[in-house]
Amino acid sequence: MSHTVLICDDAIFMRTMLGDILQQAGFDVVGEAETGSQAVEKYRELRPDLVTMDIVMPDMGGIDAVREITKLDPLAKVLMCSAMGQQALVVEAIQAGAKDFVVKPFQPSRVLEAVQRVLG
Amino acid sequence: MDTARYAELFLMESRDNIVAVNEALLRLERDPRDREAIDAVFRAVHTVKGMAGVMGYAAVADLAHDMEALLAKARSNGRGLRTSDPALLIDATDALELAIEASVATGGASVDVTAMCARLRGTSGGEETPGDQPALDSVDLPPGEGMAIVVRLVRDAPLPGARAALVIQRARALGEVTAVSPDEEHLHDGRFAGTFAMRIRTESGSEEITAALRTAGYVEEVRVQREAHAADPGAAARDRADVAWQTGTLKAPLQRFVRIDLRRLDSLMNLMGELVIARGRLEQAVVPQSDPVLTEAAGAVGRLIVDMQAGILSSRMVPVWQVFDRFPRVVRDAARSLGKEIDFVVEGRQIELDRGLLEQIGDPLVHLLRNAVDHGIETPDQRERAGKSRAGRLTLTAARERAAVVIRVTDDGKGIDRQRMLDRALVEGFFEPGKDGLSDEELLRIIARPGFTTAESVTELSGRGVGVDAVVSRVRAMGGSVDLRSTPGEGTSLTLRLPVTLAIIQALLARVEDETYALPLTHVKETLRLTPEALRQVRGSDVLVLRDEVLPLLSLRRIVDLPVRDAEGSQVVVLEVADRRAGLVVDQLRGQQEIVVKTIDGARGAASCFSGATILGDGIPALILEATSLF
Repeated sequence: MSHTVLICDDAIFMRTMLGDILQQAGFDVVGEAETGSQAVEKYRELRPDLVTMDIVMPDMGGIDAVREITKLDPLAKVLMCSAMGQQALVVEAIQAGAKDFVVKPFQPSRVLEAVQRVLG
Repeated sequence: MDTARYAELFLMESRDNIVAVNEALLRLERDPRDREAIDAVFRAVHTVKGMAGVMGYAAVADLAHDMEALLAKARSNGRGLRTSDPALLIDATDALELAIEASVATGGASVDVTAMCARLRGTSGGEETPGDQPALDSVDLPPGEGMAIVVRLVRDAPLPGARAALVIQRARALGEVTAVSPDEEHLHDGRFAGTFAMRIRTESGSEEITAALRTAGYVEEVRVQREAHAADPGAAARDRADVAWQTGTLKAPLQRFVRIDLRRLDSLMNLMGELVIARGRLEQAVVPQSDPVLTEAAGAVGRLIVDMQAGILSSRMVPVWQVFDRFPRVVRDAARSLGKEIDFVVEGRQIELDRGLLEQIGDPLVHLLRNAVDHGIETPDQRERAGKSRAGRLTLTAARERAAVVIRVTDDGKGIDRQRMLDRALVEGFFEPGKDGLSDEELLRIIARPGFTTAESVTELSGRGVGVDAVVSRVRAMGGSVDLRSTPGEGTSLTLRLPVTLAIIQALLARVEDETYALPLTHVKETLRLTPEALRQVRGSDVLVLRDEVLPLLSLRRIVDLPVRDAEGSQVVVLEVADRRAGLVVDQLRGQQEIVVKTIDGARGAASCFSGATILGDGIPALILEATSLF
């Protein structure tokens, strides 16, 4: 059975791109979220194997969302999506429980490598 | 601009340049004053900057610019780089590489290099910022309980600080992390050289630890040391070249193109030439044997050589757009600076040309285009007064014509002022006084004369002037020809006729006395035996009457300073260059053969009618007659 993924990003472009990358690699994108709070809600509902999480989102940011999701499920696998120059934020996300990160702009191979690492 | 098409080329060339930069930086790490290495880095970074600018990849261009600034300073102060600079530049190169890959992947969007640029600027401004100090020295664990572990990250790991945080996160899952060096604050900011150490109290074995830490990603190496002693920073430095190699090569994605040093192709081409000569000798040697097996084998070898030659030649062929596509920018800039309006059209972008030729033709074409904008096309007001559209039309065309590629620059400008050119030429004693009117050929001869075109106030010359001599001599040196057409008020057109490829051409072999000369077939229209009816005299000169056409008759004997014999009964080769024709009288024709052109040094001034030499199948050398020089 293929792994389920929840994609969290406020930009439809990024969601589409990530979705394409993951679907082409055989993942099952079960949900999308545009805000941090939506992400937490959908995680509770869908319990996906993997979450990709943008750092900067309206409403609730990605880091807080990671914190909430990790509280819900200490084994949650969250992959942060960051831009270059957001190192401090990524470190914070990791300390909040994120399991890995990829740097935008995305290269499919790097995204998939990170996903493989996270899913073990 | 449709950049997608060039992205692959940009990527390919940039990768090459990154490889060169890394190689030179590793030398600089050993000796920061290595001038040659500094220059090499500078050149490569500069190239990347230029290409990135054209592609519109601002991040790459900015970063390259800041690297260049740092290097420029080292070049100008004469002291070379400071000891901390190579490490910084290596980091910058990694960032540059990432920016390149990212820019190509995304079309230049959302690549952030500001942090790296700031570090570079901090340094080239003369201040040592704390971040510049390689933190390797501080990979020094305080003694304590637990296993000492040294982790080295992959060199191109993005956000190494965050990656280190992940590694530490994985370590914490195994046990208690009692110490980290450099401290976590430094690590998280990325202020370390890719290697850091920590101490863990854990029940896990070293294999288990290594495997767990590797799940953090971008981990190049994990070293687990039972004894509590300081990590060896020197080892990391020693491994650096190795890491560069690994990360540089193993990570390179598969490419559709392979870049080959042109010199290798040239040497293959030369060998091919030798092979063609050897084949000629073989074929001649086989004939008298009349051995069918030998003849068949020689024939097979010959056919294979033909195929192989075609293969080698095609490996050198590139579409002209690789050079042409930078011209719209050239024309636009020139037009803008001169206040002219120009519609620039490029035709035949996909026509292929030998790469060596294409590279050489680039600059001459820029010259011709600039000239057309400067001297050919009028200002919008002038054009309007002349009843033309305000915008001039400038066309660059490439087309295949038999064994030649024709490149033509055409404008619809005012044409060349013949009277003015003639006056000028008469002053210089170029023609006999009293000459009236100029043909296009004469016009070209005038403006292609070095002394003429570099004369003062060239911009006053209506029509072309600057550097046409350079263009013409370059094209002729390549075995090509130049042709000019200019009509007052309607425009000017310069046509460059180039061989499709260098080196191997079809030639007609002609004899006078016991010397053989080669005539490139590109210029041979036909051959015939000279009959008394065809031979006429016009104003004391021999002419050839060929199907109602009267052609000037030249003698190869005269050209090579042999006594001229009665032409009757001799063979005539009808040469054609552009639309001009002439007959060349030779003693005898020896047939057609593929010849390998060898350039001859120093002979140009002495005998400019020879463009090179070749060695024939029988091992005898022959001079190659340059038809264009005879007209």
